[in-house]
Amino acid sequence: MTKYNIDRYQRQITLLGEEGQESLRRARVLVAGVGGLGTIVAADLAAAGVGFLRLADNDRVELSNLNRQFLFRPDDIGREKTLAAMERLHLLNPEIQVEGISQTIDNETINELVKDIDLIVDAMDNFATRFILNQAAFSRHLPMIHGAVRGFFGQATTLIPGKTGCLQCFFAGNPLGEIIPVIGATCGVIGSVQASETIKVLTGRGEPLTNRLFFWDGWAGEGTVIDAKRNPRCIICGGG
Amino acid sequence: MKMKITVRAFADYREIIGKEMELLLPAEKTIGGLLADLGDRYPNLRREMFTPAGELKEFINIFINGRNIAFLKNMATPLSDGDIIALFPPVAGG
Repeated sequence: MTKYNIDRYQRQITLLGEEGQESLRRARVLVAGVGGLGTIVAADLAAAGVGFLRLADNDRVELSNLNRQFLFRPDDIGREKTLAAMERLHLLNPEIQVEGISQTIDNETINELVKDIDLIVDAMDNFATRFILNQAAFSRHLPMIHGAVRGFFGQATTLIPGKTGCLQCFFAGNPLGEIIPVIGATCGVIGSVQASETIKVLTGRGEPLTNRLFFWDGWAGEGTVIDAKRNPRCIICGGG
Repeated sequence: MKMKITVRAFADYREIIGKEMELLLPAEKTIGGLLADLGDRYPNLRREMFTPAGELKEFINIFINGRNIAFLKNMATPLSDGDIIALFPPVAGG
């Protein structure tokens, strides 16, 4: 490891070891969705030295994004999110590789998006797309880190094929077309939980948030963890 | 013979019924029966969770001991002594 990297990552090498840092450098992560959660996760992972980030989102930056999507600035409005995010992440950490793909995530594009990827971060804003990611994760045996927010509430769980249930075991979906209220601070909590989980899974450290659902209630100032068990008859992960 | 059931509410539901409650219920109670009782006690909860026709609204998540009732027997799922129920609305934003 270079002197630059030993210095740059000094505070976390203490936790993860040089070996853990090397695991991050070698890792290839898909951040699906570059919104309130995706911008936080991508910035956390870039700063931590995850070697390859693929960002997927087909949106352009809008004024109403700026209350929570700190990677973007007012002069980014109208630009592709993935492009603006790539530039900003490159400034944050020039040593990592960031690939932006300005595409809708659907059944046609998913295979290319998860190609050569080690882990998926679900930072989407709807369950229809989450279920596409979920299926790709379980058919390719990729860990997936789920996060979702609404207002002051948020949730997160870590899905490991073969060890946990999948999103379709736990969640029914969400109403279409609803404009979901979100405060940036909630994205910060959940996005950072997702980044922590990603780093844990990639380095094999700590106890991942598996078979459990973390629920954050910002109004109450309280986090709760509940059991989340696999459905043995699930058509995605239950083998039947 | 009564069963002790714990109900944990999250997000909007917590604002209506509080964080957690323990209930003593008759042995034959189903999750549907329990939610109907809660709806009588908390009309706002009923409005949040059920349609005017009394159907559970789409996308609401109800876990019994960590399992979504959609994969059990839905509202007909029987309860057992010591069960922990979690109620939470869809949280879907990013």
